[in-house]
Amino acid sequence: MKHVIIGSGAAGISAAKTLREKSTQDEIIILSADEFVYSRCMLHQFISGERQTEVLSFIPDDFLEKNNIEFRPNIAVTGIDTVNQMVKFDGGSESYDRLLIATGAKSAFPQIVGLRDTKNVYGLRDLEDARAIRDKATQSNNIVIIGAGLVGLDAAYGLLEIGKTSTIIEMSNAILSTNLDLHAASTYHIKFEEAGCAFHLGMKVKRVLSNASGEIEAIVTDHDERIACDLLIVATGVHPTLDFLSDSGIKTNRGITVNEYLATSAPNVYAAGDVTGLSESWPSAVQQGEIAALNMLGIETAHPDTFLPKNTIHFFGVPSLSIGQFIPEAGDTKDSREDRMRYQKVILRDGIPVGVILQGDISRSGFWQQLILNKVDVTSMPKSIWKVSFADSYHIDENGEYYWTMSV
Amino acid sequence: MRRIIIDADKCKACKNCSVACMRAHAPEGVTFSLSDPQFESRNTILQDGEKQYKPLFCRHCAKPSCANACVSGALAKDPNTGHVLYNPDICAKCFMCVMNCPFGVLKPDRLTNTYVVKCDFCAADGSEPNCVANCPSKAIYVKEVE
Ligand SMILES: Cc1cc2nc3c(=O)[nH]c(=O)nc-3n(C[C@H](O)[C@H](O)[C@H](O)COP(=O)(O)OP(=O)(O)OC[C@H]3O[C@@H](n4cnc5c(N)ncnc54)[C@H](O)[C@@H]3O)c2cc1C
Repeated sequence: MKHVIIGSGAAGISAAKTLREKSTQDEIIILSADEFVYSRCMLHQFISGERQTEVLSFIPDDFLEKNNIEFRPNIAVTGIDTVNQMVKFDGGSESYDRLLIATGAKSAFPQIVGLRDTKNVYGLRDLEDARAIRDKATQSNNIVIIGAGLVGLDAAYGLLEIGKTSTIIEMSNAILSTNLDLHAASTYHIKFEEAGCAFHLGMKVKRVLSNASGEIEAIVTDHDERIACDLLIVATGVHPTLDFLSDSGIKTNRGITVNEYLATSAPNVYAAGDVTGLSESWPSAVQQGEIAALNMLGIETAHPDTFLPKNTIHFFGVPSLSIGQFIPEAGDTKDSREDRMRYQKVILRDGIPVGVILQGDISRSGFWQQLILNKVDVTSMPKSIWKVSFADSYHIDENGEYYWTMSV
Repeated sequence: MRRIIIDADKCKACKNCSVACMRAHAPEGVTFSLSDPQFESRNTILQDGEKQYKPLFCRHCAKPSCANACVSGALAKDPNTGHVLYNPDICAKCFMCVMNCPFGVLKPDRLTNTYVVKCDFCAADGSEPNCVANCPSKAIYVKEVE
Protein backbone atom coordinates (compact mmCIF):
# COMPACT_ATOMS: atom_id res chain seq x y z
CA MET A 1 0.00 0.00 0.00
CA LYS A 2 1.21 3.50 -0.85
CA HIS A 3 0.57 6.30 1.63
CA VAL A 4 1.08 9.91 0.63
CA ILE A 5 1.11 12.61 3.30
CA ILE A 6 0.91 16.30 2.43
CA GLY A 7 2.69 18.36 5.07
CA SER A 8 5.55 17.68 7.48
CA GLY A 9 4.25 19.41 10.60
CA ALA A 10 3.06 17.88 13.84
CA ALA A 11 0.22 15.92 12.20
CA GLY A 12 2.09 14.75 9.09
CA ILE A 13 5.13 13.45 10.99
CA SER A 14 3.02 11.81 13.68
CA ALA A 15 1.04 10.02 10.95
CA ALA A 16 4.21 8.83 9.20
CA LYS A 17 5.60 7.55 12.48
CA THR A 18 2.39 5.65 13.27
CA LEU A 19 2.17 4.18 9.75
CA ARG A 20 5.69 2.84 10.07
CA GLU A 21 5.14 1.48 13.57
CA LYS A 22 2.15 -0.52 12.34
CA SER A 23 3.39 -1.50 8.92
CA THR A 24 6.95 -2.34 7.94
CA GLN A 25 6.06 -2.90 4.26
CA ASP A 26 3.94 0.04 3.17
CA GLU A 27 5.39 2.86 1.13
CA ILE A 28 5.31 6.26 2.89
CA ILE A 29 5.90 9.50 1.02
CA ILE A 30 5.75 12.98 2.56
CA LEU A 31 5.33 15.93 0.21
CA SER A 32 6.05 19.17 2.00
CA ALA A 33 6.31 22.83 1.14
CA ASP A 34 8.88 23.07 3.94
CA GLU A 35 12.59 22.84 3.10
CA PHE A 36 13.15 20.47 6.02
CA VAL A 37 11.16 19.18 8.99
CA TYR A 38 10.84 21.88 11.64
CA SER A 39 8.60 22.86 14.52
CA ARG A 40 6.60 26.04 14.08
CA CYS A 41 6.24 26.43 17.83
CA MET A 42 9.89 27.39 18.11
CA LEU A 43 10.09 30.03 15.38
CA HIS A 44 10.27 32.86 17.92
CA GLN A 45 13.38 31.18 19.32
CA PHE A 46 14.83 31.36 15.82
CA ILE A 47 14.05 35.08 15.69
CA SER A 48 15.76 35.55 19.05
CA GLY A 49 18.85 33.74 17.83
CA GLU A 50 18.45 31.18 20.60
CA ARG A 51 18.01 28.48 17.97
CA GLN A 52 19.56 28.14 14.53
CA THR A 53 17.88 26.17 11.74
CA GLU A 54 19.67 22.94 12.75
CA VAL A 55 17.82 22.81 16.06
CA LEU A 56 14.36 23.72 14.78
CA SER A 57 13.63 20.10 13.99
CA PHE A 58 11.47 18.03 16.31
CA ILE A 59 12.55 14.61 15.07
CA PRO A 60 15.87 12.78 15.51
CA ASP A 61 18.32 13.30 12.64
CA ASP A 62 17.98 9.71 11.43
CA PHE A 63 14.18 9.53 11.81
CA LEU A 64 13.24 9.65 8.10
CA GLU A 65 15.98 7.32 6.94
CA LYS A 66 15.58 4.84 9.75
CA ASN A 67 11.84 4.61 9.21
CA ASN A 68 12.20 4.40 5.45
CA ILE A 69 10.05 7.48 4.88
CA GLU A 70 10.54 9.27 1.58
CA PHE A 71 10.64 12.98 2.36
CA ARG A 72 10.26 15.36 -0.57
CA PRO A 73 10.90 18.94 0.52
CA ASN A 74 9.96 22.19 -1.23
CA ILE A 75 6.89 20.74 -2.92
CA ALA A 76 3.74 22.82 -2.86
CA VAL A 77 0.76 20.68 -3.76
CA THR A 78 -1.57 22.48 -6.17
CA GLY A 79 -4.42 20.02 -6.55
CA ILE A 80 -5.86 16.58 -5.84
CA ASP A 81 -7.55 14.33 -8.40
CA THR A 82 -9.70 12.17 -6.15
CA VAL A 83 -11.03 10.07 -9.05
CA ASN A 84 -7.65 8.88 -10.29
CA GLN A 85 -6.11 9.19 -6.81
CA MET A 86 -3.36 11.61 -7.83
CA VAL A 87 -1.72 14.52 -6.04
CA LYS A 88 -0.60 17.34 -8.33
CA PHE A 89 2.20 19.82 -7.86
CA ASP A 90 4.43 22.04 -9.99
CA GLY A 91 6.43 19.79 -12.27
CA GLY A 92 4.85 16.50 -11.31
CA SER A 93 2.28 14.31 -9.67
CA GLU A 94 2.13 11.37 -7.31
CA SER A 95 -0.43 8.59 -7.08
CA TYR A 96 -1.74 7.31 -3.77
CA ASP A 97 -3.66 4.44 -2.25
CA ARG A 98 -4.27 6.44 0.91
CA LEU A 99 -3.79 10.18 1.22
CA LEU A 100 -3.44 12.33 4.32
CA ILE A 101 -3.87 16.09 4.08
CA ALA A 102 -1.92 17.66 6.96
CA THR A 103 -1.28 21.11 5.54
CA GLY A 104 -1.89 22.96 8.78
CA ALA A 105 -2.89 26.58 8.74
CA LYS A 106 -1.55 29.87 7.50
CA SER A 107 -1.59 33.36 8.93
CA ALA A 108 -4.95 35.00 8.38
CA PHE A 109 -4.46 38.65 7.47
CA PRO A 110 -7.31 40.97 8.47
CA GLN A 111 -8.97 43.25 5.91
CA ILE A 112 -6.84 46.35 6.23
CA VAL A 113 -6.52 48.92 3.45
CA GLY A 114 -3.12 48.68 1.79
CA LEU A 115 -1.94 45.64 3.74
CA ARG A 116 -1.51 43.16 0.90
CA ASP A 117 0.60 45.34 -1.36
CA THR A 118 2.94 46.73 1.26
CA LYS A 119 6.50 45.53 1.82
CA ASN A 120 7.96 44.51 5.19
CA VAL A 121 4.69 43.01 6.36
CA TYR A 122 4.82 39.41 7.62
CA GLY A 123 2.84 36.78 9.44
CA LEU A 124 4.63 34.33 11.73
CA ARG A 125 3.90 30.77 10.71
CA ASP A 126 6.66 29.54 8.42
CA LEU A 127 10.44 29.58 8.60
CA GLU A 128 10.50 32.09 5.74
CA ASP A 129 8.46 34.46 7.91
CA ALA A 130 10.85 34.07 10.83
CA ARG A 131 13.88 34.55 8.57
CA ALA A 132 12.42 37.70 7.04
CA ILE A 133 11.47 39.09 10.45
CA ARG A 134 14.91 38.36 11.86
CA ASP A 135 16.66 39.96 8.90
CA LYS A 136 14.49 43.07 8.81
CA ALA A 137 14.34 43.51 12.57
CA THR A 138 18.02 44.30 12.91
CA GLN A 139 17.47 47.37 10.70
CA SER A 140 14.09 48.32 12.16
CA ASN A 141 13.39 51.02 14.69
CA ASN A 142 9.62 50.90 14.74
CA ILE A 143 8.33 47.36 14.90
CA VAL A 144 4.56 46.98 15.18
CA ILE A 145 2.76 43.74 15.93
CA ILE A 146 -0.97 43.34 15.36
CA GLY A 147 -2.42 40.87 17.84
CA ALA A 148 -1.48 40.29 21.48
CA GLY A 149 -2.27 36.59 21.45
CA LEU A 150 0.35 33.89 21.93
CA VAL A 151 1.95 34.18 18.51
CA GLY A 152 2.10 37.98 18.61
CA LEU A 153 3.71 37.92 22.04
CA ASP A 154 6.05 35.10 21.01
CA ALA A 155 7.25 37.42 18.25
CA ALA A 156 7.59 40.36 20.65
CA TYR A 157 9.49 38.20 23.13
CA GLY A 158 11.86 36.83 20.50
CA LEU A 159 12.57 40.37 19.31
CA LEU A 160 13.29 41.60 22.84
CA GLU A 161 16.06 39.02 23.04
CA ILE A 162 17.82 40.75 20.14
CA GLY A 163 17.31 44.13 21.74
CA LYS A 164 14.26 45.20 19.74
CA THR A 165 11.10 46.49 21.37
CA SER A 166 7.71 46.49 19.65
CA THR A 167 4.43 48.31 19.73
CA ILE A 168 1.55 45.86 19.96
CA ILE A 169 -1.95 46.70 18.77
CA GLU A 170 -4.77 44.52 20.07
CA MET A 171 -8.47 44.88 19.44
CA SER A 172 -9.65 43.40 22.74
CA ASN A 173 -9.10 45.20 26.00
CA ALA A 174 -6.49 42.79 27.34
CA ILE A 175 -3.52 40.82 26.09
CA LEU A 176 -3.75 37.00 25.86
CA SER A 177 -7.51 37.34 26.26
CA THR A 178 -8.30 33.92 24.81
CA ASN A 179 -5.86 32.24 27.20
CA LEU A 180 -5.87 34.09 30.50
CA ASP A 181 -8.06 36.20 32.74
CA LEU A 182 -7.19 39.83 33.26
CA HIS A 183 -5.31 39.17 36.45
CA ALA A 184 -2.97 36.54 35.01
CA ALA A 185 -2.54 38.47 31.75
CA SER A 186 -1.53 41.61 33.61
CA THR A 187 1.55 39.82 34.96
CA TYR A 188 2.87 39.56 31.41
CA HIS A 189 1.48 42.93 30.36
CA ILE A 190 3.58 44.64 33.03
CA LYS A 191 6.69 42.63 32.22
CA PHE A 192 6.48 43.37 28.50
CA GLU A 193 6.05 47.09 29.29
CA GLU A 194 8.96 47.04 31.70
CA ALA A 195 11.04 45.50 28.93
CA GLY A 196 10.15 48.43 26.66
CA CYS A 197 7.16 47.20 24.66
CA ALA A 198 4.05 49.38 24.30
CA PHE A 199 0.48 48.11 24.07
CA HIS A 200 -2.44 49.81 22.37
CA LEU A 201 -5.48 47.85 23.52
CA GLY A 202 -9.06 48.09 22.32
CA MET A 203 -7.84 49.29 18.95
CA LYS A 204 -7.82 48.04 15.39
CA VAL A 205 -5.48 48.88 12.57
CA LYS A 206 -7.49 50.63 9.88
CA ARG A 207 -4.88 51.45 7.28
CA VAL A 208 -1.23 50.97 6.51
CA LEU A 209 0.81 53.71 4.83
CA SER A 210 3.83 53.07 2.65
CA ASN A 211 6.67 55.13 1.21
CA ALA A 212 7.59 55.59 -2.46
CA SER A 213 9.30 52.18 -2.58
CA GLY A 214 6.18 50.49 -1.28
CA GLU A 215 7.68 49.81 2.15
CA ILE A 216 5.54 50.22 5.22
CA GLU A 217 5.95 53.58 6.91
CA ALA A 218 3.12 53.80 9.42
CA ILE A 219 -0.12 52.23 10.53
CA VAL A 220 -3.30 54.13 11.34
CA THR A 221 -5.64 52.86 14.05
CA ASP A 222 -9.41 53.15 14.16
CA HIS A 223 -8.82 55.90 16.72
CA ASP A 224 -7.04 57.77 13.91
CA GLU A 225 -3.75 57.44 15.67
CA ARG A 226 -0.74 57.23 13.38
CA ILE A 227 2.07 54.99 14.56
CA ALA A 228 5.40 54.91 12.74
CA CYS A 229 6.28 51.42 11.50
CA ASP A 230 9.08 49.94 9.42
CA LEU A 231 8.29 46.27 10.14
CA LEU A 232 4.78 44.94 10.67
CA ILE A 233 4.05 41.50 12.06
CA VAL A 234 0.47 40.32 11.67
CA ALA A 235 -0.53 37.83 14.34
CA THR A 236 -4.30 37.94 14.24
CA GLY A 237 -4.94 34.23 13.93
CA VAL A 238 -4.72 31.47 11.38
CA HIS A 239 -6.87 29.88 8.72
CA PRO A 240 -6.69 26.22 7.60
CA THR A 241 -4.54 25.80 4.46
CA LEU A 242 -6.95 24.42 1.89
CA ASP A 243 -6.74 26.75 -1.12
CA PHE A 244 -5.33 23.92 -3.27
CA LEU A 245 -8.49 21.83 -2.73
CA SER A 246 -10.86 24.01 -4.73
CA ASP A 247 -11.16 21.66 -7.75
CA SER A 248 -10.92 18.44 -5.78
CA GLY A 249 -14.53 18.15 -4.67
CA ILE A 250 -13.36 17.47 -1.12
CA LYS A 251 -15.88 19.02 1.24
CA THR A 252 -14.77 21.85 3.47
CA ASN A 253 -16.34 24.09 6.06
CA ARG A 254 -13.94 26.32 7.97
CA GLY A 255 -11.42 23.50 7.62
CA ILE A 256 -11.57 20.19 5.78
CA THR A 257 -14.74 18.37 6.81
CA VAL A 258 -13.91 15.05 8.45
CA ASN A 259 -15.89 12.33 10.20
CA GLU A 260 -14.92 10.77 13.52
CA TYR A 261 -12.34 8.60 11.73
CA LEU A 262 -10.81 11.74 10.21
CA ALA A 263 -11.89 10.60 6.74
CA THR A 264 -12.80 13.37 4.28
CA SER A 265 -15.70 13.26 1.81
CA ALA A 266 -13.39 11.69 -0.82
CA PRO A 267 -12.58 7.97 -0.72
CA ASN A 268 -9.19 7.08 0.81
CA VAL A 269 -8.47 10.69 1.69
CA TYR A 270 -7.97 11.69 5.33
CA ALA A 271 -7.13 14.96 7.07
CA ALA A 272 -5.47 15.75 10.41
CA GLY A 273 -4.18 18.71 12.40
CA ASP A 274 -4.91 22.43 12.09
CA VAL A 275 -6.24 21.93 8.55
CA THR A 276 -9.37 20.26 9.94
CA GLY A 277 -10.24 23.34 11.97
CA LEU A 278 -10.96 20.99 14.91
CA SER A 279 -8.07 22.43 16.90
CA GLU A 280 -5.11 24.78 16.68
CA SER A 281 -2.63 23.05 18.92
CA TRP A 282 0.42 20.85 18.64
CA PRO A 283 -0.73 17.95 20.86
CA SER A 284 -4.07 17.76 19.05
CA ALA A 285 -2.31 17.69 15.68
CA VAL A 286 -0.06 14.86 16.87
CA GLN A 287 -3.03 12.92 18.17
CA GLN A 288 -5.04 13.42 14.99
CA GLY A 289 -2.07 12.39 12.85
CA GLU A 290 -1.88 9.13 14.75
CA ILE A 291 -5.62 8.46 14.55
CA ALA A 292 -5.77 9.24 10.83
CA ALA A 293 -2.83 6.88 10.19
CA LEU A 294 -4.53 4.02 12.04
CA ASN A 295 -7.66 4.50 9.95
CA MET A 296 -5.60 4.67 6.76
CA LEU A 297 -4.31 1.22 7.68
CA GLY A 298 -7.83 -0.04 8.26
CA ILE A 299 -7.49 -0.04 12.05
CA GLU A 300 -10.76 1.68 12.87
CA THR A 301 -10.10 4.34 15.51
CA ALA A 302 -12.49 7.14 16.41
CA HIS A 303 -11.34 10.61 17.30
CA PRO A 304 -12.51 11.70 20.78
CA ASP A 305 -15.15 14.40 20.54
CA THR A 306 -14.10 16.11 23.76
CA PHE A 307 -12.30 19.30 22.92
CA LEU A 308 -10.72 21.29 25.68
CA PRO A 309 -8.93 24.55 24.92
CA LYS A 310 -5.59 24.50 26.69
CA ASN A 311 -2.24 26.19 26.53
CA THR A 312 0.92 26.90 28.38
CA ILE A 313 2.59 30.29 28.34
CA HIS A 314 6.12 31.05 29.38
CA PHE A 315 7.61 34.54 29.23
CA PHE A 316 10.15 36.24 31.52
CA GLY A 317 10.63 33.07 33.55
CA VAL A 318 6.98 33.01 34.61
CA PRO A 319 5.14 29.91 33.41
CA SER A 320 1.34 29.74 33.18
CA LEU A 321 -1.15 27.14 32.21
CA SER A 322 -4.75 27.61 31.19
CA ILE A 323 -7.25 24.82 30.58
CA GLY A 324 -10.93 25.12 29.73
CA GLN A 325 -13.16 27.97 30.77
CA PHE A 326 -11.62 30.65 32.94
CA ILE A 327 -14.51 33.12 33.04
CA PRO A 328 -17.39 31.91 35.25
CA GLU A 329 -20.88 31.57 33.78
CA ALA A 330 -24.07 32.19 35.76
CA GLY A 331 -24.28 29.61 38.55
CA ASP A 332 -20.57 28.76 38.47
CA THR A 333 -18.39 29.30 41.48
CA LYS A 334 -14.84 30.53 41.47
CA ASP A 335 -12.07 29.64 43.83
CA SER A 336 -8.74 31.41 43.69
CA ARG A 337 -5.68 32.05 45.77
CA GLU A 338 -2.55 34.04 45.36
CA ASP A 339 0.77 34.79 46.96
CA ARG A 340 3.94 36.52 45.88
CA MET A 341 5.01 33.65 43.64
CA ARG A 342 1.80 32.33 42.18
CA TYR A 343 -1.81 32.77 41.19
CA GLN A 344 -4.28 29.91 40.97
CA LYS A 345 -7.91 29.99 39.94
CA VAL A 346 -10.47 27.31 39.27
CA ILE A 347 -14.01 27.59 37.94
CA LEU A 348 -16.45 25.01 39.31
CA ARG A 349 -19.83 23.93 37.95
CA ASP A 350 -21.77 21.79 40.43
CA GLY A 351 -18.52 21.00 42.19
CA ILE A 352 -16.80 19.90 38.99
CA PRO A 353 -13.90 21.94 37.61
CA VAL A 354 -14.52 23.33 34.11
CA GLY A 355 -11.44 25.48 33.89
CA VAL A 356 -8.23 26.36 35.64
CA ILE A 357 -5.49 28.96 35.46
CA LEU A 358 -2.16 28.40 37.21
CA GLN A 359 0.58 30.99 37.08
CA GLY A 360 4.04 31.15 38.60
CA ASP A 361 4.08 27.59 39.84
CA ILE A 362 2.80 24.90 37.48
CA SER A 363 4.68 22.03 39.11
CA ARG A 364 3.03 18.62 38.91
CA SER A 365 -0.18 20.18 37.64
CA GLY A 366 -0.96 17.85 34.71
CA PHE A 367 -3.78 16.14 36.59
CA TRP A 368 -6.01 19.24 36.28
CA GLN A 369 -6.84 18.43 32.69
CA GLN A 370 -8.01 14.99 33.80
CA LEU A 371 -10.14 16.38 36.63
CA ILE A 372 -11.93 18.48 34.02
CA LEU A 373 -12.21 15.75 31.36
CA ASN A 374 -13.29 13.08 33.84
CA LYS A 375 -15.74 15.47 35.52
CA VAL A 376 -14.41 14.79 39.00
CA ASP A 377 -16.45 16.34 41.81
CA VAL A 378 -13.64 17.92 43.79
CA THR A 379 -15.83 19.62 46.36
CA SER A 380 -17.01 16.30 47.78
CA MET A 381 -13.47 15.31 48.70
CA PRO A 382 -12.33 15.42 52.31
CA LYS A 383 -9.58 17.93 51.51
CA SER A 384 -9.04 21.42 50.21
CA ILE A 385 -9.46 21.75 46.45
CA TRP A 386 -5.85 22.92 46.25
CA LYS A 387 -4.67 19.63 47.74
CA VAL A 388 -6.51 17.46 45.19
CA SER A 389 -4.19 15.42 42.96
CA PHE A 390 -3.95 12.12 41.12
CA ALA A 391 -3.70 10.50 44.58
CA ASP A 392 -7.47 10.96 44.86
CA SER A 393 -8.10 8.82 41.82
CA TYR A 394 -5.07 6.56 42.11
CA HIS A 395 -5.27 3.45 39.93
CA ILE A 396 -2.53 1.15 38.66
CA ASP A 397 -3.04 -1.53 36.02
CA GLU A 398 -1.38 -4.95 35.73
CA ASN A 399 1.49 -3.46 33.74
CA GLY A 400 2.20 -0.90 36.40
CA GLU A 401 0.73 2.02 34.46
CA TYR A 402 -1.42 4.65 36.14
CA TYR A 403 -4.92 5.29 34.83
CA TRP A 404 -7.91 7.48 35.54
CA THR A 405 -11.43 6.15 35.81
CA MET A 406 -14.40 8.13 34.60
CA SER A 407 -16.17 8.24 37.94
CA VAL A 408 -14.39 8.98 41.16
CA MET B 1 10.45 -2.81 29.00
CA ARG B 2 11.63 -2.35 32.57
CA ARG B 3 9.26 -0.37 34.76
CA ILE B 4 9.29 0.68 38.41
CA ILE B 5 6.30 -1.14 39.87
CA ILE B 6 4.52 0.52 42.80
CA ASP B 7 2.98 -1.29 45.73
CA ALA B 8 1.39 1.74 47.38
CA ASP B 9 0.15 -0.18 50.43
CA LYS B 10 3.75 -0.81 51.47
CA CYS B 11 4.80 2.84 51.25
CA LYS B 12 5.50 4.45 54.62
CA ALA B 13 6.50 7.80 53.12
CA CYS B 14 10.03 7.60 54.50
CA LYS B 15 11.07 9.50 51.35
CA ASN B 16 14.31 7.61 50.96
CA CYS B 17 13.35 7.33 47.29
CA SER B 18 13.11 11.10 46.95
CA VAL B 19 16.41 11.74 48.68
CA ALA B 20 18.09 9.07 46.55
CA CYS B 21 16.68 10.70 43.43
CA MET B 22 17.88 14.16 44.49
CA ARG B 23 21.35 12.77 45.10
CA ALA B 24 21.44 10.82 41.86
CA HIS B 25 20.59 13.94 39.85
CA ALA B 26 22.86 16.35 41.69
CA PRO B 27 24.47 19.02 39.55
CA GLU B 28 28.15 18.32 39.13
CA GLY B 29 30.48 19.68 41.77
CA VAL B 30 27.77 20.82 44.18
CA THR B 31 27.75 19.44 47.70
CA PHE B 32 24.52 17.67 48.47
CA SER B 33 22.16 19.35 50.88
CA LEU B 34 18.51 18.54 51.47
CA SER B 35 17.67 22.18 51.93
CA ASP B 36 19.38 23.38 48.73
CA PRO B 37 16.62 24.01 46.13
CA GLN B 38 19.00 23.01 43.35
CA PHE B 39 18.37 19.42 44.35
CA GLU B 40 15.00 18.19 43.22
CA SER B 41 13.41 14.80 43.25
CA ARG B 42 11.75 13.40 40.14
CA ASN B 43 9.38 11.39 42.31
CA THR B 44 7.14 12.40 45.19
CA ILE B 45 4.69 10.86 47.61
CA LEU B 46 1.13 12.16 47.67
CA GLN B 47 -1.70 11.51 50.09
CA ASP B 48 -5.31 10.81 49.24
CA GLY B 49 -8.30 12.05 51.26
CA GLU B 50 -7.88 9.18 53.74
CA LYS B 51 -4.24 10.14 54.29
CA GLN B 52 -3.06 7.01 52.47
CA TYR B 53 0.34 7.36 50.78
CA LYS B 54 0.31 7.32 46.98
CA PRO B 55 3.79 7.29 45.41
CA LEU B 56 4.00 9.36 42.23
CA PHE B 57 6.67 8.05 39.87
CA CYS B 58 6.99 8.59 36.12
CA ARG B 59 5.49 5.51 34.43
CA HIS B 60 7.39 5.87 31.15
CA CYS B 61 3.92 5.31 29.69
CA ALA B 62 3.26 3.07 26.71
CA LYS B 63 1.60 6.10 25.14
CA PRO B 64 3.41 9.02 26.69
CA SER B 65 1.24 12.15 26.67
CA CYS B 66 4.29 14.25 27.55
CA ALA B 67 6.19 13.21 24.43
CA ASN B 68 3.01 13.60 22.40
CA ALA B 69 2.76 17.22 23.52
CA CYS B 70 6.46 17.98 23.06
CA VAL B 71 7.02 20.59 20.32
CA SER B 72 10.80 20.18 20.16
CA GLY B 73 11.43 16.44 20.28
CA ALA B 74 13.19 16.86 23.64
CA LEU B 75 10.92 14.19 25.12
CA ALA B 76 10.87 10.94 23.21
CA LYS B 77 10.32 7.29 23.90
CA ASP B 78 13.50 5.29 23.39
CA PRO B 79 12.49 2.50 20.99
CA ASN B 80 15.00 0.11 22.57
CA THR B 81 14.39 0.55 26.28
CA GLY B 82 10.85 1.97 26.14
CA HIS B 83 11.88 4.71 28.54
CA VAL B 84 10.76 8.26 27.88
CA LEU B 85 13.92 10.33 27.95
CA TYR B 86 14.40 14.08 28.10
CA ASN B 87 17.07 16.13 26.37
CA PRO B 88 17.30 19.56 28.03
CA ASP B 89 19.57 20.89 25.27
CA ILE B 90 16.82 20.94 22.64
CA CYS B 91 13.90 21.66 24.98
CA ALA B 92 11.81 24.73 24.06
CA LYS B 93 10.85 25.31 27.72
CA CYS B 94 7.18 25.62 26.75
CA PHE B 95 6.08 23.16 29.45
CA MET B 96 3.35 21.64 27.29
CA CYS B 97 4.55 18.32 28.76
CA VAL B 98 3.89 19.51 32.32
CA MET B 99 0.30 20.39 31.43
CA ASN B 100 -0.26 17.17 29.51
CA CYS B 101 1.13 14.55 31.90
CA PRO B 102 -2.23 13.06 32.99
CA PHE B 103 -0.88 12.19 36.43
CA GLY B 104 0.88 15.43 37.28
CA VAL B 105 4.34 13.91 37.53
CA LEU B 106 6.32 16.49 35.57
CA LYS B 107 7.45 19.90 36.75
CA PRO B 108 9.67 22.76 35.65
CA ASP B 109 12.81 23.11 37.74
CA ARG B 110 12.16 25.15 40.87
CA LEU B 111 14.91 27.73 40.61
CA THR B 112 15.05 28.77 36.97
CA ASN B 113 12.02 27.36 35.13
CA THR B 114 14.37 26.41 32.30
CA TYR B 115 14.15 22.65 32.19
CA VAL B 116 11.83 19.79 33.04
CA VAL B 117 12.47 17.62 36.08
CA LYS B 118 11.95 14.15 34.64
CA CYS B 119 12.79 10.56 35.63
CA ASP B 120 15.50 9.06 33.41
CA PHE B 121 15.42 5.62 35.06
CA CYS B 122 18.95 6.51 36.17
CA ALA B 123 19.70 5.49 32.58
CA ALA B 124 23.31 6.57 32.46
CA ASP B 125 23.90 4.28 35.38
CA GLY B 126 22.59 1.12 33.73
CA SER B 127 21.82 -0.57 37.05
CA GLU B 128 18.79 -0.33 39.30
CA PRO B 129 17.28 3.15 39.60
CA ASN B 130 18.49 4.82 42.80
CA CYS B 131 14.99 5.27 44.21
CA VAL B 132 14.37 1.52 44.00
CA ALA B 133 17.73 0.65 45.49
CA ASN B 134 16.97 2.85 48.49
CA CYS B 135 13.40 1.80 49.25
CA PRO B 136 13.46 -0.11 52.56
CA SER B 137 9.84 -1.34 52.33
CA LYS B 138 9.85 -2.85 48.84
CA ALA B 139 7.07 -0.45 47.86
CA ILE B 140 8.86 0.05 44.55
CA TYR B 141 10.69 -2.56 42.50
CA VAL B 142 11.73 -3.04 38.91
CA LYS B 143 9.91 -5.51 36.71
CA GLU B 144 9.99 -6.40 33.04
CA VAL B 145 6.56 -5.58 31.59
CA GLU B 146 4.85 -5.58 28.18
C1 LIG C 1 5.18 30.94 16.74
C2 LIG C 1 4.22 29.82 17.04
C3 LIG C 1 4.16 29.30 18.33
C4 LIG C 1 3.29 28.26 18.63
N1 LIG C 1 3.29 27.76 19.91
C5 LIG C 1 2.48 26.74 20.22
C6 LIG C 1 2.49 26.17 21.53
O1 LIG C 1 3.23 26.60 22.43
N2 LIG C 1 1.63 25.13 21.79
C7 LIG C 1 0.81 24.63 20.82
O2 LIG C 1 0.06 23.69 21.10
N3 LIG C 1 0.79 25.13 19.58
C8 LIG C 1 1.59 26.17 19.25
N4 LIG C 1 1.57 26.68 17.97
C9 LIG C 1 0.63 26.09 16.99
C10 LIG C 1 1.22 24.80 16.39
O3 LIG C 1 2.40 25.13 15.73
C11 LIG C 1 0.23 24.17 15.41
O4 LIG C 1 -0.98 23.90 16.06
C12 LIG C 1 0.78 22.87 14.82
O5 LIG C 1 1.99 23.10 14.15
C13 LIG C 1 -0.23 22.23 13.88
O6 LIG C 1 0.35 21.13 13.24
P1 LIG C 1 -0.11 20.69 11.78
O7 LIG C 1 0.70 19.49 11.44
O8 LIG C 1 -1.57 20.60 11.71
O9 LIG C 1 0.31 21.91 10.82
P2 LIG C 1 1.71 22.60 10.56
O10 LIG C 1 2.64 22.32 11.66
O11 LIG C 1 1.40 24.00 10.20
O12 LIG C 1 2.27 21.86 9.27
C14 LIG C 1 1.72 22.03 8.00
C15 LIG C 1 2.62 21.41 6.96
O13 LIG C 1 1.99 21.42 5.70
C16 LIG C 1 2.84 21.96 4.72
N5 LIG C 1 2.05 22.52 3.63
C17 LIG C 1 1.12 23.51 3.68
N6 LIG C 1 0.57 23.70 2.47
C18 LIG C 1 1.15 22.80 1.63
C19 LIG C 1 1.00 22.48 0.26
N7 LIG C 1 0.12 23.11 -0.54
N8 LIG C 1 1.77 21.51 -0.26
C20 LIG C 1 2.66 20.83 0.52
N9 LIG C 1 2.83 21.08 1.83
C21 LIG C 1 2.08 22.05 2.37
C22 LIG C 1 3.67 22.95 5.48
O14 LIG C 1 4.82 23.29 4.75
C23 LIG C 1 3.93 22.16 6.75
O15 LIG C 1 4.94 21.22 6.57
C24 LIG C 1 2.44 27.73 17.62
C25 LIG C 1 2.50 28.25 16.34
C26 LIG C 1 3.37 29.27 16.03
C27 LIG C 1 3.42 29.79 14.62
